[in-house]
Amino acid sequence: MSIEAIIAANRFGLGARPGDVARIAGDPRGWLLGQLTPETEPPAPLRALPSTVDDLSAFFKWVRQIAAEARAHGMDPYHLKPQGAPGAAMAGGAMAGGSGDSGFSIEREYIRTFLPRYAVAVKARFDAAVASERPFFERLVHFWVNHFVVSGAKPGAIAMPPSFERDVVRPNVTGRFLDMLMASSKHPAMLFYLDNYNSIGPNSKVGKDPSLRASGGDPAFANPQHIGLNENLAREIMELQTLGVRSGYTQTDVTSFARVITGWTIARAPRVKPIQLVLGGRLNAKGLFEFDDEEHEPGPQTIMGKTYLQTGVDQGEAVLADLAHHPATAHFISTKLARHFIADDPPPAVVERMSKTFLATEGDLRAVCSELVRSPEAFDPVPRKFKAPDDYVISAARALPALQVDAGALLRAYSSMGQTPYNPPGPNGWPDVQAEWLGADSVWKRFEWANQTAQSVASTTMNPGALAQDVLGPMLSQATSEAIARAESPAQGLTLLLASAEFQRR
Amino acid sequence: MVTRRRTLGLIGAAGATALALPRLSLAAPETDKRFVVVLLRGAMDGLSAAPAIGDPDYERARNGLALENALKLDAMFALHPNLPGMKSLYDGGELIVVHAAATPYRDRSHFDGQNLLENGSEQPYGLDTGWLNRALAQMPGSGKPLGVALNSHMPLMMRGPAAVTSWAPSLLPPPDGDTVQRLAALYGETDPLLAQNFASAQGANSVAMGSGGGAGGGYQAFVGLMTAAAKFLIQPGGERVAMVEIGGWDTHVNQAGAFSPLSTNLTTLDKGLAALKTGLGAAWRDTAVVIVSEFGRTVAMNGTQGTDHGTAGAVLVAGGAVKGGRVLADWPGLKPASLYQARDLMPTTDFRSIATGVLRDHMGLHDAQLAAVFPSKSAVKPKDGLIRA
Repeated sequence: MSIEAIIAANRFGLGARPGDVARIAGDPRGWLLGQLTPETEPPAPLRALPSTVDDLSAFFKWVRQIAAEARAHGMDPYHLKPQGAPGAAMAGGAMAGGSGDSGFSIEREYIRTFLPRYAVAVKARFDAAVASERPFFERLVHFWVNHFVVSGAKPGAIAMPPSFERDVVRPNVTGRFLDMLMASSKHPAMLFYLDNYNSIGPNSKVGKDPSLRASGGDPAFANPQHIGLNENLAREIMELQTLGVRSGYTQTDVTSFARVITGWTIARAPRVKPIQLVLGGRLNAKGLFEFDDEEHEPGPQTIMGKTYLQTGVDQGEAVLADLAHHPATAHFISTKLARHFIADDPPPAVVERMSKTFLATEGDLRAVCSELVRSPEAFDPVPRKFKAPDDYVISAARALPALQVDAGALLRAYSSMGQTPYNPPGPNGWPDVQAEWLGADSVWKRFEWANQTAQSVASTTMNPGALAQDVLGPMLSQATSEAIARAESPAQGLTLLLASAEFQRR
Repeated sequence: MVTRRRTLGLIGAAGATALALPRLSLAAPETDKRFVVVLLRGAMDGLSAAPAIGDPDYERARNGLALENALKLDAMFALHPNLPGMKSLYDGGELIVVHAAATPYRDRSHFDGQNLLENGSEQPYGLDTGWLNRALAQMPGSGKPLGVALNSHMPLMMRGPAAVTSWAPSLLPPPDGDTVQRLAALYGETDPLLAQNFASAQGANSVAMGSGGGAGGGYQAFVGLMTAAAKFLIQPGGERVAMVEIGGWDTHVNQAGAFSPLSTNLTTLDKGLAALKTGLGAAWRDTAVVIVSEFGRTVAMNGTQGTDHGTAGAVLVAGGAVKGGRVLADWPGLKPASLYQARDLMPTTDFRSIATGVLRDHMGLHDAQLAAVFPSKSAVKPKDGLIRA
């Protein structure tokens, strides 16, 4: 059996299902390269999930219900936060609402409302990955979702990551990097997660007359609390999504870029924040990108020595195009991809070749990923990556078609191993190095999960030794093979297979 | 690793004398000082934990929540009646109450408030590492973990560059010992790193679940975690910093009464601290514990006999190394005009001054190191005199 087929299925895919390795053994690289094509439509489990508009509406509807409940408790929903306090934005105003005096917990209601929605999305993502015939493509989707991060760990964003994945990532996985960057920077989930919907040019029309941000004469909005730049999105685009940290840009560049993308916001009636629309019953259900010229900082801006004279949304699009094609970006993206698939410290030669391809093709991700697959270093038989919990659980399920996992058990497994999909702790995503996942408690929790999983699927007729050969082939060490063969029961043998180093490394 | 864990039984039997044994220099951390942070998630009502019974406005300001049988500390302050263990610590000079303390956070979201408290910057989400981990990174050591989070996943406060270990009770049934042995042997043959961490986890399990039983569920879970924390901290060459958390402090409803959720939680906290002290034995004298919540609660009672999200609260500093028996407060008073935004206890002490005071005088960090632990625009002065000279 070809070791390259195992590597293709395991290191680049989501783990072999029984029969997979034999099926792709003829041309493992061709099998991978063949997946670098756009999908005609998302996998079935994901198609059943709500749209972005539904996600936003659900959140706003919940906010409206909370407002109604606040009124029922004698509270003024417009003043869930004290006047003048910073941070009373869309979610902030509602989330912090316990400040507003009463016997119901907004945060408890929030979790009660959105946890089931989140669980359904995580299960759909899992089902799509386990059933995928294009696991390399699926891995790339997961990679990019962990690059352009929208995390449900931020209150208010919990419903958004799945639709962000579908709108922004999936259509562009094998397309141009700039297209994904542009789609991300204009998606309401990103504009909300990194606060740009609330960033206003100090010299814009609204910046000079903050009262314009209030809706028509409603005194509740007479004291807008956020008037000014918020550089969160601009910084993270430069630091985390394109150039990479310490790549030569300065704080001045960040601030200038933040000015450039003022007015990039979530569609709504002019200058009325979404929560206010909701509270006033005036939600604009489109919930998509909008450029608001009256919040946009006028005038040219200089970023990394280049002056952008454009006006309106064109200015930001021009900056994003330059960022997307910058050599630092090519290097940063190539490094992250190579780190994800080959080694925590990826071979510099591979990164160099990928970077060159990135620059030569203006960020054609299909070409960059093809370069990765064609690299001899990528098929080094020594496994240098340790599966993150997400990939570990998915690969086990792929190896065990009989395994049934319900959403609750899945969330418990992810949570106990420390990686809950769609919920990384910050905009930098989950770390992509084994140090994060090889902690003592994590290793133990994987073992416990492997043990329980094996108990639930092993039958007396199961042959874990044959399964090990099928899904690990020549990567299976003699020691592990013998340990499985000597196990006292099929369940114990299966536990040893799932917990083995060969199954956890790739 | 295995050798280190095997010494545990001896330690358990020999108790304090084991600590006096000469230690292998390779395995020994550079410090015998122990530091424990207890994070109270949900915003503890500082005026219930440590009521200002001597404040002339106390009874009026707290209306239905004023405590009548509080355990008096001095002319001004007392402890909640469900904190008898802490009262004993105070009387024995091992507990400081720092009152009217707060982080720099001035809004009222649990999520953001906890994030800021844990990341140690001046903004929610301002840093993606935790201050306690950054403190660990400043401490001398052999490179092995000096910190343990008694948690299933790593809390933000403990995330960062320094190696830390973790342990939490499991909801899954324990694998049988035979399977454990077989896998340990298999890792030994195939994968040194997995072998080491698997052994570390086994060790952590035996430390945490060994004599005295593991963490129980529900009410006793926190006490179990504190017991487990002590087991980590007393090992020669073992962890020296532990983080434990307990939720359930968001008491919007029915806060008063001996069996209210708040009173029950305070009892749990009190018993947990006592369990830590018991578990640490002689090491207690080298220990400082900081107990902190993301913010305090409103001074006045709300319409449902509870309190709502506030600002300043009480931070408790306990331990044999602490110069206790004192309440430290630049007390702002409870007059309406003295309250923050006319509703909350006014913050007069920055939590970071407490944390840096302990890190400096107990864990030996100097100013430049403290600046890396709590980066801030304007210097935060460490509080003097929290630790015995």
